[in-house]
Amino acid sequence: MKAHSVIKVEDLVYSYGDHRVLKNVNLTVHAGEFVAIIGENGAGKSTLTRHFNGLLKPLSGRVVVGGEETKHCKVSQLARHVGYVFQNPDHQLFHNTVEKEVAFGVKNLGLSTQTIQDRVAEALQAVGLDEYRDSYPYDLSKGQRQRVALAAVLAMRPEVIVLDEPTTGQDYREMMQIMEMIQVLNQKGHTIIFITHDMALVAEFAKRVIVLCEGKILQDDSVEAVFTCPDFLKQSFLELPSITQLGNGLSHPEISAPFLTVDEAYNTLKPLLGGEAID
Amino acid sequence: MNVYEIENLSFRYGPSKAGVLAGIDLSIEKGEFIGITGPTGAGKSTFLKCLNGIIPHFQGGILEGNVLLNHNSIMEKRMIDIAHCVGSVFDDPESQIVSLDVEQELVFALENIGLDQQTMEERVTEALQMTGISHLRHSKTAALSGGQKQRVAIAASLALKPQVLVLDEPTSELDPSGTKAVFEVLNQLNRELGMTIIVATQKTDFLARYASRILIFNQGKIVLEGKPQAVFAQQEMLKCLGVRVPQVAELAYRLQKNVREIPLTVAEGLNYIQRCL
Repeated sequence: MKAHSVIKVEDLVYSYGDHRVLKNVNLTVHAGEFVAIIGENGAGKSTLTRHFNGLLKPLSGRVVVGGEETKHCKVSQLARHVGYVFQNPDHQLFHNTVEKEVAFGVKNLGLSTQTIQDRVAEALQAVGLDEYRDSYPYDLSKGQRQRVALAAVLAMRPEVIVLDEPTTGQDYREMMQIMEMIQVLNQKGHTIIFITHDMALVAEFAKRVIVLCEGKILQDDSVEAVFTCPDFLKQSFLELPSITQLGNGLSHPEISAPFLTVDEAYNTLKPLLGGEAID
Repeated sequence: MNVYEIENLSFRYGPSKAGVLAGIDLSIEKGEFIGITGPTGAGKSTFLKCLNGIIPHFQGGILEGNVLLNHNSIMEKRMIDIAHCVGSVFDDPESQIVSLDVEQELVFALENIGLDQQTMEERVTEALQMTGISHLRHSKTAALSGGQKQRVAIAASLALKPQVLVLDEPTSELDPSGTKAVFEVLNQLNRELGMTIIVATQKTDFLARYASRILIFNQGKIVLEGKPQAVFAQQEMLKCLGVRVPQVAELAYRLQKNVREIPLTVAEGLNYIQRCL
């Protein structure tokens, strides 16, 4: 049986003034999916995802979240279904301790003090920041602040978590930490939707890719399918990860599926090259 | 000829603060394309601020050792003289652009150094051409994409004809095609004008493609330096430091630890593997 749909977008149109940013977008996200949204700067990625938690309302068309049309819902109501982690964590942090920051949203859910404390503790543990609960958020690194923002969202236990470029401005270690954390959340049943420019992360973590180009969906398919049709990516000014390009450039009967990760490339090539030294 | 000589440079932001730079020795020759990377908090941005004079002229702290720019100490130079030699571009083009249209943005910098009308006109035209944005000359800066804004910021620096361009994460906000456009411009300035380029970035894929020398920072020190082929062959160390290795280099290293010239780009990787298949 197919999982139920958590977000449904029908003929969505949105403009900033005269500038039409989304042009008839249609898509459905099902529970438990791990979706990457890619596209060049200005393609409409953030404008689209901001419709998922009601920050933006459609100019025409409809967006249905948790069975209800967002037009009729308050952002606070939608926040229980869809948590949103912004590109710049500093736009959403405003308390003087990490703990207060994480507790802020949950306090509005009308839960008992004990439950609030439990949820905050659990969320901080999930992002590996329990020892920083009393720290001032701005004493942390940017990657850690990004995780504080994620913890604040987690404490709400939303079904869907949307992350807008969660790895920008971070070093590789921080980048992998946050992606692995998101992967665990997905395995625990959260639906994940993330925006990124990093094609290697898309290949390694996402299951489904939505390619946006000038406000339209150019392609919406599995990572494997999208990465075997590089024409679509070219059309939207994107490039495949270099390991995928390398695999697509090799012509060998044993190599059919695209390489998504270095691991896959290694596992395919190692036996072909035999045990002998290369050079 | 050395543009910079850095002698035992250490820096702290205050007497009670931890050291950010811890004894850096380095010479940079004219015409190098230096790529700097390393984990966050390693001192990369602070180091760049010591090269363009922001430290110590605008930002205080405790500095030991010396930074020589064209054989003169940066401490003793006036900021305006440093700015003539060293152009700077930062991660957030929004915060650097002050004018309403692109032409004004370039003229703004030039008016401050007292050039005549004719020379200014030539410099603006040339800087726009070099950065590939001549068609945007009369555009409103607010309407530009991130990649375009960053190229305007570079053009404004270039109009001053600096000898060195220092850039701190100039593409962190940009998509892959915007990033490529910026690096192509830097490459051209480096090759055609012999301009010394010093750029800090996490996008090691691009450093592998464009830099002539890479410096890896960790805890205020340069812990590894050399040509990209040599640096990206040190994968155990890079892994420890949390530095991203270009995918092609990682694959080649895993297939064969002692490869003589580690392939970095897709073309080099294809060549390397096809020889063995």
